[in-house]
Amino acid sequence: MGTAERVVFEHVSKRYPGTGTGNPGAVEDLSLEVPAGKICVLVGPSGCGKTTSLKMVNRLIEPTSGRILIGDTDVARRDVIELRRSIGYVIQQVGLFPHQTVGENVATVPRLLGWEPARQRARAAELLELVGLDPGRYAGRYPTALSGGERQRVGVARALAADPPVLLMDEPFGAVDPIVRERLQNELLRLQEELAKTIIFVTHDIDEAIKMGDLVAVMQVGGHLAQFGPPAEILANPASEFVARFVGADRGLKRLALVRVGELELREATTARPGEDAAAVRPRAAADSFPYVLLVDEANRPIGWLDERRIPASGPLVVDHAEAESPLFDRHTTLKDALSMLLEAGVQAGIVVGGAGAVEGLVTVEMIMERVRPA
Amino acid sequence: MIDWGWIADHIGAIAGRLGQHIELTAIALVVGFAISLALSLWSLRRPRAKTLVIGISGILFTIPSLALFAAFTSITGLSLLTAEIPLVLYTLVIYVRNMLVGLEAVPADVLEAADASGFRPRERLLRIELPLAIPLIVSGLRLASVSTIGLVTITSTIGDAFGGLGFFIKERPFFLTEVLVGAVGSIALALAADAAFARLQRRLTPWAAARTAVDPR
Repeated sequence: MGTAERVVFEHVSKRYPGTGTGNPGAVEDLSLEVPAGKICVLVGPSGCGKTTSLKMVNRLIEPTSGRILIGDTDVARRDVIELRRSIGYVIQQVGLFPHQTVGENVATVPRLLGWEPARQRARAAELLELVGLDPGRYAGRYPTALSGGERQRVGVARALAADPPVLLMDEPFGAVDPIVRERLQNELLRLQEELAKTIIFVTHDIDEAIKMGDLVAVMQVGGHLAQFGPPAEILANPASEFVARFVGADRGLKRLALVRVGELELREATTARPGEDAAAVRPRAAADSFPYVLLVDEANRPIGWLDERRIPASGPLVVDHAEAESPLFDRHTTLKDALSMLLEAGVQAGIVVGGAGAVEGLVTVEMIMERVRPA
Repeated sequence: MIDWGWIADHIGAIAGRLGQHIELTAIALVVGFAISLALSLWSLRRPRAKTLVIGISGILFTIPSLALFAAFTSITGLSLLTAEIPLVLYTLVIYVRNMLVGLEAVPADVLEAADASGFRPRERLLRIELPLAIPLIVSGLRLASVSTIGLVTITSTIGDAFGGLGFFIKERPFFLTEVLVGAVGSIALALAADAAFARLQRRLTPWAAARTAVDPR
């Protein structure tokens, strides 16, 4: 894997002719530094210049003044084609090439760079694997045969194909439904633990910004940087009236988004397999203060809950005994999302699963409330 | 009613005229395609040029074919050019419109992704824009072939050296068998060309077929 590079904005402005500084998309004297390997989220209302700022990094838009450095080099001094091939780019509509297979789409930049076909294919397969798509099943498909979430994964794989030090993402998960979005966010965070790219991520959603960002830059219309810092600091000390309003009145609740499920001490789940003798399972359930047994399959993946009352007196447990599943969490799920999913499902506990879907433990509403209560 | 004997006696001449019909059509289709592609690519990102190209090719299409062949007879005589120039001119509006619509229908997000991936303008055109415009470009080819095959019969007015199957329509207008051979032959050729290009269209765009075959998940 290649190394990440810092990205620096130095007094960058973009003015559009005709109107003053209040015009949508303009950027006014933006200065900030994204350290190598960090995720910086640009967040703000529409027209605040966040997308313009992003597109100035790979020169889809040229700044009116100021400069942007990647590493120590001014991007304006680099060949624009070579520059773009060295920066990953992901957009909301994905922009997959409909006439190319998934494998060809992923290999876009390697092909432009003139890699050997065999190396292109191997790299595409590696990346599909990385984003959780089986290359054997997906590489030969056309984009129209994919779901929204799959398409977005392919978009991320394509952006990463040439191992760029910098990744630009413009509302990448804005077009998928909330459940898929939550999953894709978690996957990106998991990937980032491995890849440690410098990522600039644009969103209008403050919750997404708090969840994804190591650093958050709040921008306001006119292209002014209203505040720049770690999400916890922005939630704790909004720098202005605007930031406070943008962050919202429920800052206490939002702080839940700073903590992830993986940081909690998970409650152990009492589990059983189909076919086990009910008589042996009953006492186990009764011994636990949380009187439910989680039925799991041979790979320890959750099937459903057995209420103490629904466990037969004797005989083998069968799948039919299990009822309604809890929401599934991942180590990267924020407590805020977890609480919201629990309330939505009207249940007490959610199941934390690992990469392969195996049960790691439980998170209960009570455990989350504990974190909200001031110490 | 139909004089089968005449057909049997003239089978060689019919085959010859069929060959000529295909040849006159093919030349017009190929030359028209090349000119139209050049005009489309040149005017694609020049709005005023585009208005001009579409306008002029549209006006050309409104000129009655009889008049146009007659006009060129006085300029280029009884040469092949007299037949081909009007045939080519009539294909332009069909091709150009389909090519421009096809090229302009490439979604903005696809172009943005291509630019951001570092395609040079020429690479973007050849690898992204033109392939995605193929369904409409071939639609233009289908329409132009049908239209040109019909028009070739009119070239019989230039002289007996032209006309393809149209020669039989014009030679003895009151001899039903001969008129039918010319007319039915021309129609059958048009239908065959349309079907052949329709197949070509499907073969060139397996990804468009995948759209209809998208699995329901």
